[in-house]
Amino acid sequence: MSVVAFERKQDSGEWSDKELSALVAAFGAALAPGTGREWETGMTERGDAQFYLLSPLPDQACELCVSRIGGRYILEDGLGRLLFEHRNLELVALHAKAAVPSTSWLMVRGVTLWCAIRNTIHEKVEPLLVEGEELLVQFVPQLAAFA
Amino acid sequence: MKRVKQQDVFAERPPVKAAPDVKQLRKMAGDWLKQRRADAEMSQADLAARLGLKYYTFISQVENGFSRVPIEIMGAWASVLGLEQAAFARHLLMYYEPELHRLLFGAESK
Repeated sequence: MSVVAFERKQDSGEWSDKELSALVAAFGAALAPGTGREWETGMTERGDAQFYLLSPLPDQACELCVSRIGGRYILEDGLGRLLFEHRNLELVALHAKAAVPSTSWLMVRGVTLWCAIRNTIHEKVEPLLVEGEELLVQFVPQLAAFA
Repeated sequence: MKRVKQQDVFAERPPVKAAPDVKQLRKMAGDWLKQRRADAEMSQADLAARLGLKYYTFISQVENGFSRVPIEIMGAWASVLGLEQAAFARHLLMYYEPELHRLLFGAESK
């Protein structure tokens, strides 16, 4: 008789490597370099594992939190709102991925930079071009007459 | 629930010289909250239940210094711990918004 070795599901204690990998993979895009986000783990007083997705510096506050209580995974936001719960971590990770605040830090920085460049062009470069154009308009008839 | 002397409870202050960052201050607030809960002889689960939360995970999130006590439940949090609401909010403001606390209450209250 052969016995199939099912993997025992962890109910308490620290995150297993498999669980951590699943969570980090789910938050892959949110944790990409340049976003400034980080993650940390912690425990409740009863020893339940918690995973925190942290916002960029300087605040580094919890944006999303996944906890494991008695084999059940709980997804909450930084204000303690319960977003999803299930025994299947993959399903919770999927919801966590969708719950990541969509306005990325990188996008905000990109838009700010673009606005700054446009403003500089408007204020500095455009007057120079207009001035050059005016000079040309002024001198062209004289040059034409001279020729 | 055990009652503690209000004056002693709010006497704890963050170190003035160190100028800790936002994360450190939030952690200090979490430690203070954890101590107040211990004074009230309550577990994280007890506090969560009294605040109407389904799970105690958020209490842990706050006490571990990763989140703040939301303003909407700050009063209830204080009451459940047997603390005066205004003093509780004022004390947490010292950790969460130290500059605002200084502007509102002055350096002498530190």
